[in-house]
Amino acid sequence: MLLDYFPVFLMAGVVTLLGLFILKISSLLRPANPYPAKNQPYECGVDPVGDASVGQVKIHYFVIAIVFIIFDVETLYLFPWAVVLTDIGLFGYIEMFVFIFLLLVGFIYAWATGALEWQI
Amino acid sequence: MSNQPLRELLQRESIQQRCESVYETFGMLTLTVSKENLLALCHLLKHDSALQFNFLSDICGVDHYPQRPRFETVYHLYSIPFKYRLRIKCRFELDELPPSVVPVWQTANWHEREAYDMYGIAFVGHPDLRRIYMWEGYDGYPMRKDYPLRGYADHYNPFGEARSERTEGA
Amino acid sequence: MANLENRFSNNVFFGTVDSVINWSRSSALWPETFGIACCAIEMISAGCARYDLDRLGVVFRPSPRQSDVMIIAGTVTKKFAPIVRLLYDQMTEPRWVIAMGTCAISGGVYNTYAVVQGSERIVPVDVHVPGCPPRPDALIHGILMLQEKIKKQHVLRRKDPQETGKVSP
Repeated sequence: MLLDYFPVFLMAGVVTLLGLFILKISSLLRPANPYPAKNQPYECGVDPVGDASVGQVKIHYFVIAIVFIIFDVETLYLFPWAVVLTDIGLFGYIEMFVFIFLLLVGFIYAWATGALEWQI
Repeated sequence: MSNQPLRELLQRESIQQRCESVYETFGMLTLTVSKENLLALCHLLKHDSALQFNFLSDICGVDHYPQRPRFETVYHLYSIPFKYRLRIKCRFELDELPPSVVPVWQTANWHEREAYDMYGIAFVGHPDLRRIYMWEGYDGYPMRKDYPLRGYADHYNPFGEARSERTEGA
Repeated sequence: MANLENRFSNNVFFGTVDSVINWSRSSALWPETFGIACCAIEMISAGCARYDLDRLGVVFRPSPRQSDVMIIAGTVTKKFAPIVRLLYDQMTEPRWVIAMGTCAISGGVYNTYAVVQGSERIVPVDVHVPGCPPRPDALIHGILMLQEKIKKQHVLRRKDPQETGKVSP
């Protein structure tokens, strides 16, 4: 049964190897000359100022990313469900709405605790 | 458009007692004023209902080295409602600095910073007096008559004069 | 080798890896938009419709990290010089510099207290395009000269140490 998926594994392996191969060939061909002025973060030619310059990036970016991942995975589940909807009938239809309702509770919680507001 | 209406309006006692002379050059009336009366005169010119010089076009600094008094500031005023133009000149030495006209016209802020940067005229009462063209820590005032045109020699411009020949400005 | 001599018709090409690399680098020169003064207007009009720069592969990039060439267009003042140097340093290699206009080449008419007498004093320059301002076709000529210079470079072939062009930190 696992062998039925052999083409998928082969494609994943070929893609990974191809990517690594291209990166390796590029690293052999390109010049590498890092020095401190070049590695400095770009800020229109002046020394960086502000929070992000010393590495203090706003933590709320992480919260936004987590909330996005959760609801994006939920959307991902909607696609195969929509494809087989006629086969699973009314029972499958109601079942998906139960799933969405459970995630809706989570969404209301996130909204009420202020995860969707930008925290300074 | 002739300057006669404006000339008549400037004959009033409150203005005449503050300015030293009135004359016309290049089609524009010029008042000369001493630094003590400068702020009062500017306030009068702006808030008088018949004059209303509410737009300060420019402030120029002038260096008359070697004449004394050495420095001069020239203010160009414009009245938007009445379309009058007026020039005010004020001569002084560096030990008796003129007041800042920022309380009268807010735009004077940067014009006076330019005069300070280029001539060293540090206006009294200016809220934010620092250099505007040259960088902070720059030594010297470039538009003075005793400052060399090519500046002092450094690795950016080696054609400048050598540092040891610098003399302190008056 | 004698077996293959004179065997191939005119639609088979032979070349070196260096020639391919140099051709690809010169055909897609992305400049950093560095218009400082009046020469920037001529640079802009060179990028616009009549003297199109896009047909040469020249696409203006706002960031030094994404650009190959820095076209210094305008007067470099002493206050601005450290910024020019830092932006040149932040460009990724391989990188080139075109000094456009007489102010960028030598300070132009401005031999004064505030103007750097030539951007060569700050960054290493590859092509100088004289003019005040140079016409857009003069800038295009300068870019084509830079392309010829790039095509002569050694990438994989060994070259003398002084030709390496590495910037000392």
